[in-house]
Amino acid sequence: MAGKWQLKDHEAERELFSRRLVVAGVFVLLLFAALIIKLVNLQVSQYEYFSARSDGNRLHSQYVPPARGLIFDNRGQLLADNQPIFNLTIVREQVGDLDETLDYLDTLIDLSDDEREQFNIRLGRNRVPFSSVPLRYVLSDADKSKVAVNGYKLPGVAIEPQFVRQYPLADLAAHSVGYVSEINRAELDSFDDEERENYGGTNHIGKTGIERTYEDLLHGTVGYEIVEKNNRGQVMRRLDRTDPIAGKNISLYLDSQLQIAAEEALGDYRGAVVAIDPNTGGILAMVSKPGFDPNLFVTGISNKNYSVLVTDEINTPLFDRSTSPYPPGSTIKPFLGLGGLHHGLVDYEFTIEDPGYFRLPGVSYRWGDYTLRTAIGGGHGHTDLQKAIYQSCDTFFYDLGNRMGIDTMHGFMAQFGFGENFAVDINYARTGVLPSREWKRATRNEPWYPGDTINSSIGQGYMWATPLQLATAASIMANKGKVVQPRMLKAIDGEPYQPDIQDPVNDVVVNDADYWRYIEESMSMVVHRAYNDVFREYGTAYAAIAMEDREMPYKMAGKSGSAQVVGISQEILQSEDIQVSDPNKDHALFISYAPAENTNIKPQIAIAVFVENGEHGSSVAGPIAKKITDTYLLDILQIDFAALDSGSDTLVSLVDE
Amino acid sequence: MNNQDFIRQSDGLDSKSRYTKSIWRTIHTDPPLLVGISLLCGFGLIVLFSASGGDVPVVRRQALTMVVGLVVMFTVAQFNVHFFRQWAPTLYAAGLGLLGLVLLVGVEANGAKSWLDLPGLPSFQPSELMKFVVPMLMAWYLASRPLPPRFKHLFWSAVMILVPAALIIIQNDTGTAIMVTMSGIFVVLLAGIRWRIVIAGFIALLLASPAWFLFLAQEHQKNRILTFFNPYRDPTGAGYNIIQSQIAIGSGGIYGKGWGEGAQSHLDFIPESNTDFILAVLAEEFGLLGVLFLISLYLFVLARGCYIAYAANDTFSRLLAGSITLTFFFYVFVNMAMVSGLLPVIGLPLPLISRGGTSVVTLFIGFGLLMSIQTHGRSLSI
Repeated sequence: MAGKWQLKDHEAERELFSRRLVVAGVFVLLLFAALIIKLVNLQVSQYEYFSARSDGNRLHSQYVPPARGLIFDNRGQLLADNQPIFNLTIVREQVGDLDETLDYLDTLIDLSDDEREQFNIRLGRNRVPFSSVPLRYVLSDADKSKVAVNGYKLPGVAIEPQFVRQYPLADLAAHSVGYVSEINRAELDSFDDEERENYGGTNHIGKTGIERTYEDLLHGTVGYEIVEKNNRGQVMRRLDRTDPIAGKNISLYLDSQLQIAAEEALGDYRGAVVAIDPNTGGILAMVSKPGFDPNLFVTGISNKNYSVLVTDEINTPLFDRSTSPYPPGSTIKPFLGLGGLHHGLVDYEFTIEDPGYFRLPGVSYRWGDYTLRTAIGGGHGHTDLQKAIYQSCDTFFYDLGNRMGIDTMHGFMAQFGFGENFAVDINYARTGVLPSREWKRATRNEPWYPGDTINSSIGQGYMWATPLQLATAASIMANKGKVVQPRMLKAIDGEPYQPDIQDPVNDVVVNDADYWRYIEESMSMVVHRAYNDVFREYGTAYAAIAMEDREMPYKMAGKSGSAQVVGISQEILQSEDIQVSDPNKDHALFISYAPAENTNIKPQIAIAVFVENGEHGSSVAGPIAKKITDTYLLDILQIDFAALDSGSDTLVSLVDE
Repeated sequence: MNNQDFIRQSDGLDSKSRYTKSIWRTIHTDPPLLVGISLLCGFGLIVLFSASGGDVPVVRRQALTMVVGLVVMFTVAQFNVHFFRQWAPTLYAAGLGLLGLVLLVGVEANGAKSWLDLPGLPSFQPSELMKFVVPMLMAWYLASRPLPPRFKHLFWSAVMILVPAALIIIQNDTGTAIMVTMSGIFVVLLAGIRWRIVIAGFIALLLASPAWFLFLAQEHQKNRILTFFNPYRDPTGAGYNIIQSQIAIGSGGIYGKGWGEGAQSHLDFIPESNTDFILAVLAEEFGLLGVLFLISLYLFVLARGCYIAYAANDTFSRLLAGSITLTFFFYVFVNMAMVSGLLPVIGLPLPLISRGGTSVVTLFIGFGLLMSIQTHGRSLSI
């Protein structure tokens, strides 16, 4: 070992070490230089790029949905409100194993298969990454706390507040007010870019009724906010905000008190009522029964609830009867009669001898008088137009229709809105059928037969009209030809709304204005003409309306109707062996307006009542119209007819107001 | 000291200082080094305060660790470095023993089974000790051999380095194994190993690396290498750290976003923002200027370390001081290079800035050895 020590040259070793240290120092400086070059590259050359990346990391623009406009009736009663709820939501991107998370949630709050399926559907819709998808709407307080307590085990699961539609009156006017529900695939696809942007923060869209018609007004304009989010997508702070513009609050002509009265008057019947103010065209009540609770649809109706609503083939609660067509039956007779006068086919003196049936020359088939179906055989006998209306004589109108011909009939009836939709803002209403040669050729590829005209003369055959159309026609009759197109929307944000009607409907003009008075008198007789000694000389609805209420302070012009549901032959119907099941019974109809024949005050309400399988227009549908009219004139408008008759001006002006 | 070989001749020394023993020398402290370290610690605490999101307990614990480190440093400095020289083989043997013990009863943390939890002692990592025990042994071994070292000595040197390194790799702590290996290699380099051997070794390493990559590298190591070449091959997975870290650094610009204003770190986009990736926080909030300031502080400490090595009295001290200094540099560089995307991600903290316990104490032991070399060496020459 000693030899080695001698070999050591300390100065040389020191020199060697110093040289190595210098080399090391150079390496240190070179490496630091490389590092600084890299940093300059990052922090100076690429500063803009990385700065933008940093902002892109943390800054997120998100939609702020606007508050949906409220819907009021004409007296300020809320029909559609917004209500805060708490939703259980999931951000898919933040959940590791989705099934595991759902299974765990199931142990906490019992997820139904339905909910899971709905969630998967929502998840399948295209959406912004890292957006939350509702799993359950309206989380109960108990469930809320269960989820909150276990939140740390549930990354990506959150409880989020949201405002949703609530319909305080539930099924009242459910069809006409409509409902909102989740935006579906088809609706999303139908959006243009602007709309898609505007609905960026919105889950719901109006599906039916007013909610759909005035979707644009009610929805409002989406807002934006720039938020700073952390690595886990949590919002740390709000940096900038463009407030959304809330949807407009709208008021309808609909009067909830009258609506309630109408629904009550209809009772347990299936059917529809439409009541129109002839002065404004405003729809005062619009009933379709049975109804449904629109609140069910807002937060995603369960399959079970939905199948209950859609599989009920008889009640069909989702079906809007008020805008769906049925054979109008005898309710069209006053209009056809007016057409007869106008075209000079009948006059006040004109009469027929009614044998109880009508035969076309050279045709053996007899068109029976349905109104006599349950009465003693034989006809109405000596019958003029007035009697043909108040006794609803079919034979008279078979004859009149036959002489009028389908072309004239179509032209005249169309003026009252048959076969057309006069409504300003009920575009989903069906138009029914006002048959014509062209219509039959186009739809059935058949020529028009004279027999078709006969059927059409009493509102049967090819003739179909909706309760809305019947009420509209009644209001035109009440206005003596002045057409005021029916409408729902009365005011926007308190400002009275005047719709811009592109293609206004012309008023109905007849050769002699006295024809109106004559028809009104005839319709008034339907309700008021009392039974007297002469056989059957009473109004069809007298027993059910005016005789029931002898104190009736106003006069009502009306017309009953019954419409055959299916072509069951008279023999079968009359046979006592056969029990006609309920859905095969005739539909009962009644149209009316009031007050009629009153020099002090114009008619205030026109009504169409449709009672599905109600059988008798005069005794079933008529009293319903009477009750609704009573409520409107006496309870809501509080018209004091006695005072009016005594000439008190103050009350008249009150009414006009 | 009876061995004259280790007594430095007085020729290079200022004659005055021989007789005026300063107060610093008495307490065995090197003021420039102390200033540099203190500035780094202070800056580190400031950055950590922001990186931890104003978490005072975290900062307080780190400050306490630094105080403990300083105490350890002063304690180590009180021993003459030749005390360590005498004990180097014993320490090395003990270190190997502890590494062996870790394999038997070690405790796992963060994926590495490197902790020893012996009764009556605070839990510690024996592998950390090897960071200065290995260069100590190497310096002991080579200082007593003629330099530049001969091939035979290099062979044994390699054995002395690779045995502990292998034991640490078995613990699954690659980062520490690399540091231990490097601390030993630095001694050999400074001892004057011939350049042709160095170059040959370097070329051999280059040639062997594809084979390592293909046959030996573990999956996560391969991933790190691939991610280094293209972070965007898996931007939300393996590449996430480096991408976010580069965004933080780049968006800091020249002047930075301001202390506590680093969006990347405060919104948790930077992973390990308190530890390995704390440079990203610093660069984001203090900008290029802040990083340059940090590099200046490091350079100052490194320069002082080099001077101490240069001025040391004997070969052992020189080699040890040089190795400690270069190892410190290696630490700093590897971390900064990895965070800025110049090197693949290796789990190493940024010395004196990153939050940490054992590794901080190890650093201070190294500084204590430097101070010991600087202060005892001089006094001996009198």
